[in-house]
Parts: sequence; C-alpha cells; structure tokens
Amino acid sequence: MNSFLRKNFIVIIAFAVMAAFLIAAAQGMEKKDFVITLLRGLAVGSITFLVASGFSLIFGLLDVLNLAHGTLFMIGAYIGWTVVVRPDTFVDLLTPLALIASGFALGDVYPLLASRIRLGSSMRRILPWALILVSLLIFWRILPRYPIAIWDVENYGQSPVTFAFMADSGTRLPVLPAAFTEVTMSSALIGLLLASIVIAFGISLFDTSPRTVKLTWKNFIWFAVALIVAIVGVVFNNAMTDYLFGLNSNWLFFVAVVVATLSGVVLGGLMEATLIRPLYSRPIYQLMLTLGMSAIGIEMVRAIWGRPEFVMSKPEFFNGGGEACPATNFADWWANHCSTILFLDGRVRVYNEIFIPLVGLVVLVSIWILLQRTRLGMIIRAGVQDREMVEALGINIRRVFTMVFALGVGLAALGGVLAAPSSGLSNAMGESLFLNALIALAIGGLTNYPGAALGSVIVGMIQQFIIKYGQIGIPIPFTDIVFKPTPPLVPASTVMLMVIILLILPNGLLGKKE
Amino acid sequence: MEYILDVQNIQTFIGQYHILQGVNVRVPKGSIVALLGRNGAGKTTTLKSIIGLTAPREGKVIFNGQEVNGMRSFDISSMGIGFVPEHRAIFRDLSVEENLKIAERKKGDYLRKKDFIFELFPDLKRLISLPGTSLSGGQQQMLAIARALVPDNQLLLIDEPSEGLAPVIIESMMAAIRELAKESTVVLVEQNFLVASKLAEYYVIIEEGRSVQDGNMKDLVADKAAIHRYLGAA
Ligand SMILES: Nc1ncnc2c1ncn2[C@@H]1O[C@H](COP(=O)(O)OP(=O)(O)OP(=O)(O)O)[C@@H](O)[C@H]1O
Ligand SMILES: [Mg+2]
Repeated sequence: MNSFLRKNFIVIIAFAVMAAFLIAAAQGMEKKDFVITLLRGLAVGSITFLVASGFSLIFGLLDVLNLAHGTLFMIGAYIGWTVVVRPDTFVDLLTPLALIASGFALGDVYPLLASRIRLGSSMRRILPWALILVSLLIFWRILPRYPIAIWDVENYGQSPVTFAFMADSGTRLPVLPAAFTEVTMSSALIGLLLASIVIAFGISLFDTSPRTVKLTWKNFIWFAVALIVAIVGVVFNNAMTDYLFGLNSNWLFFVAVVVATLSGVVLGGLMEATLIRPLYSRPIYQLMLTLGMSAIGIEMVRAIWGRPEFVMSKPEFFNGGGEACPATNFADWWANHCSTILFLDGRVRVYNEIFIPLVGLVVLVSIWILLQRTRLGMIIRAGVQDREMVEALGINIRRVFTMVFALGVGLAALGGVLAAPSSGLSNAMGESLFLNALIALAIGGLTNYPGAALGSVIVGMIQQFIIKYGQIGIPIPFTDIVFKPTPPLVPASTVMLMVIILLILPNGLLGKKE
Repeated sequence: MEYILDVQNIQTFIGQYHILQGVNVRVPKGSIVALLGRNGAGKTTTLKSIIGLTAPREGKVIFNGQEVNGMRSFDISSMGIGFVPEHRAIFRDLSVEENLKIAERKKGDYLRKKDFIFELFPDLKRLISLPGTSLSGGQQQMLAIARALVPDNQLLLIDEPSEGLAPVIIESMMAAIRELAKESTVVLVEQNFLVASKLAEYYVIIEEGRSVQDGNMKDLVADKAAIHRYLGAA
C-alpha cells in the first residue's frame, strides 16, 4: 500500500487538486446549478469519450493518428439524420452502397485468383491500375444515373434545412420517389457488382506476398450479406420506405443509431483496408492521408447536405411536453416522457443529461469487457505492446487492425448520431469535438482506455463549469469584483489544463511510463 | 537425411541495410541445431527471416518440403513453427494464463497442453493469474518458451534462452529444452557456448551475415581454433 502511494504520488495529488476545484466550484453556485452543470459536463464528456476511445484504440494498436476521426464523427451525425428525416433516401442508397462494398468482401478469394494468373512483370505492374481504371469508368457511368430520391441543397424549399425544420415540427414534406429511367435496373446492378469486384481485385494485386488460403464458406459470408442487402434494397424498396416512414420516432431513431454506427464500421474497415494499409511503413504519409481524408470528408458533407446548420429532432421517448411536464420524479417521467425532469428545482434534460451519459457508460463497460474478457481483446492488448510477436504466434494481426479501425470509427459515428439531437448538425461539429477528444486523451493518457474516459469527463466538466460561471460570475474574494469568464475561455481553459498536466505528468493522468 | 527446415542462401534487408548475405541452415528432423556467432552476427535476423518477420529478399526457406519464404508470418507460423524471441518478449499486460491462451491456434490447445507445460515449468502453475510484469527474469523466459508449446509446433525457434539468467536457472532451462526437444525439432540461438554445446547435436556459425561453418557439435567442441576464431571464447 505504501509503495502504491509513493508510485502514484503525483496522480493522487492531481486528483486531490481537481476534487478541491470541484468543491470550490460547489461553494460558488447554487446546489441545482452545480448538479446540472455536473450532469452537462458528463454529457459532453460522454460524447467526447466515444470519439476519444475509438481514436485511442486505433492509435494504441495501429500507431495511426487518425486525424479524420472528427470528420467521421460528423458523418455519423449526418447519416443518422438522413435515416430519420429522409428514410427514402437511405433505402435508395442501400443497394448501390452494398454493391460497391460487395467486391471488397471477397478479399480472401483474390490471392487465390491472382496465383492462377501468370503474367510478365510489366503486365503485373500495369494490371492493377488497368483494373482500377476500368472499374472507375463503370462507376462513373452508372452512379450518376442511379435513381436516388434526395433533397436539393441549392433549392431552399427542398433543402435539408427545410426538411429538418418540418420534421422537427412534426410534419413531413412530401417526397418524390425515384425510378430507373436513365439506366435499366439490371445493367445498373450488374455493372456496380462487377465494377466493385474488379476494383477490389485490382487493389488486392498490390499485395504480392504469397499466401496459403484455404477457402471455406466463411470467406463468402460477407459477400453474401452484401448481395442480400442489395437485392432486398431494390426489391422491397417501396415497402421498406413506407415501413420506415410509418415508424414512430423512437424506432426510427434507433434504426438511425444502428445504421450510423454500422456505416462508421464499414467506412472504417474500407478506409483501413484500402488507404491506410499500404502506408504502414510510411507513418508520415499515413498522417497526411488521414488529414486529407478529413478535408475531403468535410467537403463531401458540404456538397451533399449543404453548409447551413440544422437540427435533428429528439425521439418522442425523450421529447414529451404539455401539462404534466416537467416531470418531478422518475415514475412521473416514465408516464409522460417529458423532455425534462425537475431536480432540486433545476431542469435536467433527459436526452442530453441522462440518456447520453448512460449510453457512454454502456459503451465504456462493453468495450472494457471486450478488451478484458474476449480473445479479440486479448490480441488487441498484446498487439499494443508487440505486434510482431502476435503475428509470429500465427495470428492475422492485419485483420485485427481492420477490425479495430472499424470499431474505432464506428464509435465515432455512434457519438455523432447521439450528439445530433442535442447539439444539431453543422460542418464544424467534428473539429471542435475532435480537439476536445485529443485534449481528453492527452490528459487521461493517450492509449489508456480508462484514461480516455477520465480525460473526457474532466474536459466536459471544465467546459461546462466555465460556461456556467460565464453566466453567474465568480465573486473574487476580498473584492467587489465579479469575474465572468468569456466564451473564448472555454476551449482555452482545457488547453491550459492539458499543458499543466502534461508538464507534471508527461504521460497523462493514467498513462504508463514507457 | 530428412530435413524439416532447409534455409538456402537467404539474403535479408532491413531498411536499406543488407543484413543477411547468404545464410544456409539445414535442420534434421528431431534434432537440436545451435546458431552460433558474435553479437550482431545476424542470428536473430536469421530466425526472424525463417518465420517471415523480416522476409528474405532472395534465397529459399523450405519447411516440411514447402517453400515458405515470402509468405506472411502468421501463415508460416500456423504451419507449425513456434518462435521464442530474445529478451523474453512476453506480453507484459497479459496474465500468465492469457500469455499462454493467446498462443492457441485451435480452440482447446491450452487445455490440452496445460499439464505438459506445467510439468516442464512447475513455477508457472503457481503464477497463473499474475500479470506478465510481475514475473522474474527466469520465469518470463519459461513463459516465453511455454507459450511456444501451446499449439502443436513441429519446429521451435528459440533465441538466447539463457540470456541474463542465473546458473541454477540455466540448468533447469536446459533440462526443459531437452525435454521438449523429444517432441519437436529445435533451432537454438545461444551465446553461451557451454550451454549450446551441451544441448545441440549440430551447429551453424554465422559471421557478419553469412553462415561460415557448420557440422556436428562434437567436432566443434574439439576444434579449439575455430571456437576461438569465430566465437572468441575458449
Ligand atoms: N532494425 C534494424 N535496423 C538496422 N540494422 C539492424 C536492425 N536490426 C538489426 N540490425 C543489424 O543487423 C545485424 C544483425 O542483427 P541480429 O540481431 O540478427 O544479431 P544477433 O546475431 O542476433 O546479435 P545478438 O547476439 O547481439 O543478439 C546487426 O549488425 C544489427 O545492428
Ligand atoms: Mg540476437
């Protein structure tokens, strides 16, 4: 015990100082303000945690600093919004996207195919590029003609802002279904499938190491899944659209969360397998690539959803109003689903300040269980320390890399879709949150999983307390002056805290010394 | 003679450095072969080239009659090669049991081999739930070897098992290696010539990235001049 105290002396002091600050903060404000600010800090911290934990998992195992993580968070939000407000667009997109992904799902089959082809060395060099070019041409022919019902960014009356506004006020703008007119359905579907297989095969040719592949039905599962999704998407297009339009907002929100998270997972997996993987020996290029991806991501979001900010309505479950609201206790809330609960005379927003932290907690615990109790988690923990040795044990660490990247991006996308109803959607939502996440990780310890949670909560709390003090002011002792922190102090304060902590503890609060 | 492993004139680069410039190693099935040589000669790189961690640019690595050079590490290893790295590279953040379980190639490998492993290294049984960090140097080395015994390996590549261990511990380590060599073939890198000469039947001397001499260990023990020239030891 004594040695434990000595070893963790500085960390303990750091916690004591922070506790002292919290107590000091509690003295300066009313109890209800204190509790609500604490909950808000927890809410911001939870969203930050979802981004930070994914980022840190990826960095810990792959040594990749994914600078696109904030952008992927934002994309999660926009995808979620699309499912809630324009389910028809989402259903129309299902088939082409599944087809584009389907070729990549056959990744294990290509080496076998490649080993059958005997070519001269110059042909070997040209072939992948030729295949990629051909498939890009096919995509370029088909995709712009593929019928997708979508909003119109240029036309205000049909823009996402208007759709969002109408949805928030409980009505829907009428939408026009899209139909195959410029291409026939069969040529579009077959063309996309072929192009996807060709491009995935082309990319796989860059990896020339011979492999022993024993093909089993397992290698075809994901391909089959993608095909089934594509076929269901096109055959039951209208039925699915009608079904989603008919869902109540809770279920629709649930579908949106699942779809956004899965999209993040697929996007992350594809990103690792195609763009990140060839560059493991060139970390600087990898860094530049993720930075470029981030910029491209933001531009794509601007092109598709437009620049103006808009909102995503909260599901009914958390959005009740009327006579009985705000609720005064939990049973009362359960009966009316009020958007707020009265607590110590303050209003606690149920979605923001209770639901989001709960989801954060569930994710925290699930990932913890994944890391500590499963074989995959064991491999991840071992790989963080010594990738080579894990591979030398006969474990395909590449595949684990892809999974972890997919998981990390999935968590960011989950954060995005959860944040959308509370903070709205904007092109900039990713950047500020990503900065928060980086600061949280620096404070908590870059690759330390509990550290990511702790750092995120600290960052969230500090920001919310400073915002609150900006409203009520801090009376400076022994003077009449009331100091009101201005909004720019909010990010500045967390950066300052990070600097102080890093000066004292270069590895963050919970980071290990290397 | 039947060779389980046949390394033919491999050339390995690390970055732009040409580290191995022609290494030949032949390993008869069921034997213990020692790789000898001074510090920095290329012994570790030879082992890593066999298992594919530093893939040779030229030459061949033939395992059980199949050419494995150029294949990915995990594929090579899965064919039945266990690697025990130098400096006792166990997974520090994993418990002793997890360090063993992670090496499973088929479900149940660990349960099947458990008794054999703990008979060989009784210490580990007692330490089973401790994290890797809290093990002593000798125990870490035992664990590193035990880890390679979990799956069914036909060939074990062991890099400097006696490094930094006390004489008593080295004795029990040697006993363990002798025991496990009954089940599989062993390629052993060993700086301590006494240890190597007691364990191995054959030897290969590596010098500046080349294999310069090989043969029966008995002959080398008698050849004081060669020992002095290549190993700098008496
Ligand atoms: N990553 C690397 N980059 C550059 N050179 C390297 C690298 N790894 C090893 N080397 C060089 O390759 C040579 C062979 O190294 P290797 O580790 O195989 O030697 P060794 O025989 O195992 O030595 P020791 O007995 O000290 O373990 C050395 O000269 C070393 O400096
Ligand atoms: Mg060595």
